[in-house]
Amino acid sequence: MNFAMALDYQSCINCKACEVACKEENGVQLGADKQRIWVGQTEKSIFGNPFVNYYPSQCNHCIDAPCVDVCPTQASYFNDGGLVIVDKDKCILCKGCMEACPYDARYVDDKYVAVDKCTFCYDTRISQGEVTTACQATCPTKVRLFGDLDDEEGDLVQLLKKRKFFVLKETEGTVPKLFYLFPEDQHFAINSIGEDTTIHTWDSFKPLIDEATSKRSKQWKNLI
Amino acid sequence: MEKFNIAGIEINKVSFFGLFFNKTMLLAYVLLAFGIFGIYEIILERYFLLTANAFDAGLHQGSRDVALAMREAIFGPGGEVKRESPWTLYIVNYMYMIYTGSGIIFLVTLAELANLEILKKTAAGFLTLGLAMVFGGLFTIMFDLNMLNMQWMLITPNIGSGMWLMLPLYLIYIPFVMFEIYLLLTDNKELVKKIAFVILFIGIGIDIAEYYIQAKLFDMNTARHLWTTYPILPLYFILSSFLAATGVMILYSYIAYKDQLKSDFELLLKTLRRLALIFIILVASYEAVAFLFIDKKWATVILFEGFAYQFYLYALFSIALPFLFMILQLIQRKINTAFMLLASLSIIIGSFMERYIFVYGGNAYPMSDRFGTGFQKYSEYDVISSFIHITPPVSEICIVIGSFGVVIAAYKILDSLFSVSKVREH
Repeated sequence: MNFAMALDYQSCINCKACEVACKEENGVQLGADKQRIWVGQTEKSIFGNPFVNYYPSQCNHCIDAPCVDVCPTQASYFNDGGLVIVDKDKCILCKGCMEACPYDARYVDDKYVAVDKCTFCYDTRISQGEVTTACQATCPTKVRLFGDLDDEEGDLVQLLKKRKFFVLKETEGTVPKLFYLFPEDQHFAINSIGEDTTIHTWDSFKPLIDEATSKRSKQWKNLI
Repeated sequence: MEKFNIAGIEINKVSFFGLFFNKTMLLAYVLLAFGIFGIYEIILERYFLLTANAFDAGLHQGSRDVALAMREAIFGPGGEVKRESPWTLYIVNYMYMIYTGSGIIFLVTLAELANLEILKKTAAGFLTLGLAMVFGGLFTIMFDLNMLNMQWMLITPNIGSGMWLMLPLYLIYIPFVMFEIYLLLTDNKELVKKIAFVILFIGIGIDIAEYYIQAKLFDMNTARHLWTTYPILPLYFILSSFLAATGVMILYSYIAYKDQLKSDFELLLKTLRRLALIFIILVASYEAVAFLFIDKKWATVILFEGFAYQFYLYALFSIALPFLFMILQLIQRKINTAFMLLASLSIIIGSFMERYIFVYGGNAYPMSDRFGTGFQKYSEYDVISSFIHITPPVSEICIVIGSFGVVIAAYKILDSLFSVSKVREH
């Protein structure tokens, strides 16, 4: 298994139901900055007309995750399915993983005095037999699709074979596993994607996944 | 003064009051009082902050604590560090104290190797000051970390991590420097003759390893391009630490050696002035070249945008002003006390600012520009900015002030017991 997620971000309406569902499902600390997932937004003006982008995001569960390498106590580790997990009991709060993350995906959980982040609901849902994360299950516009990259017949891979997509900060070389679907509306695409972004097809990205997975899969642990 | 002799070292028989209640220690206590207040604040915030999650809200309906925690979540400062700026003033001060302290130790070791007689005579005092600064740095970082989980550094070590390597590094480094000081103080000259050179070379090896590990700590954060694109980061750390060290050493020389050295004092100052000038020129050249290589997003924020003000103040204090004060003395062909002290203070302030820019600058360019379309905000009501800067909380500032108290207290106690500042021929 190699868990990942596709996001049809063009459909996001910023209702923040995903943020609420995540907090409810995973017992995330209350507070605006204390989020495992979020909807970021940028604003710009095109000839006087405002244009707002909503960017739902969370930990990218990078296959070649730098946050795992910098952790001095192995509190951050790769779990089964290539998930990047934090063992809060081992965290010494050096915040090195927060610096190493290219996506600001980690925050300090003041309740446990440890760093926390998205787990793709592994402990609360996926390991219990559920097939969706809380954020996917609650989304009214079906932005998210969680799945297994190793399952060629699964919905996730089938979707990625059908639609073009891009990943965030690809040049950092971390091989992230949040796949943002290229918008069907060209005008939306032009205004919401940076010029340097590489647009991928499944065939162009699969070798990157395979290469990074073969490098890192030895570190995957099955602890739950 | 009456003395004990243990293992070849003379220890002053000093009274409890003499040791802990003198003018220098009182200054240290005042600074430490700030530190204790900061520690109290950080413990309160870290371990006793009212926090709640969705489970608490559901399971303890009507609870006043949950209500207060929810109020804190909305209107409070938001707990510890923000996700955008994880390393803060703690790391700045840790870097300043440890790097400067190690710089002093490294510089004195090299001076011993180069047979600079005046620095050999004063080596024990300088090394002790350097060690005290290392203690000050460790004091700061101790309160940045959650010490309650530190046992995991030993139980499940990640030996490839720069952060983990700090543990064996300082477990070796501190006793080693203590041993170096021991060799300078002991009257067992036979032992010193036998091992002095070996210790000197091992010392240089450990010093280089230290800066390599410090650079690795930053360089592993691959997304923070300020740190990863600084060319030959260990070399930069060494040069900037040497400059910071000369600033502290000049000030210390006036305090410890002005009356003791008499005619040799001018020679000491001339040596330090020469070293300071060399490192000012090297650091200035390095910075000029480095910014040609540093990722342009970070370079722009630092040179022309949010951090420009701090950067040019750093350049003024650390490079321009001390250079001017040194050159003016060379024109006058004499040591000018006022200029020397001004140069020293300027370097001390400037090198602290340099560490500040390095740490906060690394965080400056937003990681949240994930789509390459600019800085993202998390809430409808946030203001979009083009860089990140978060003012340090009072608790951190107090702990940093306290760390200076640790340096003074550690040095003074060691000096009272071992007279480390006494000029020694060896």
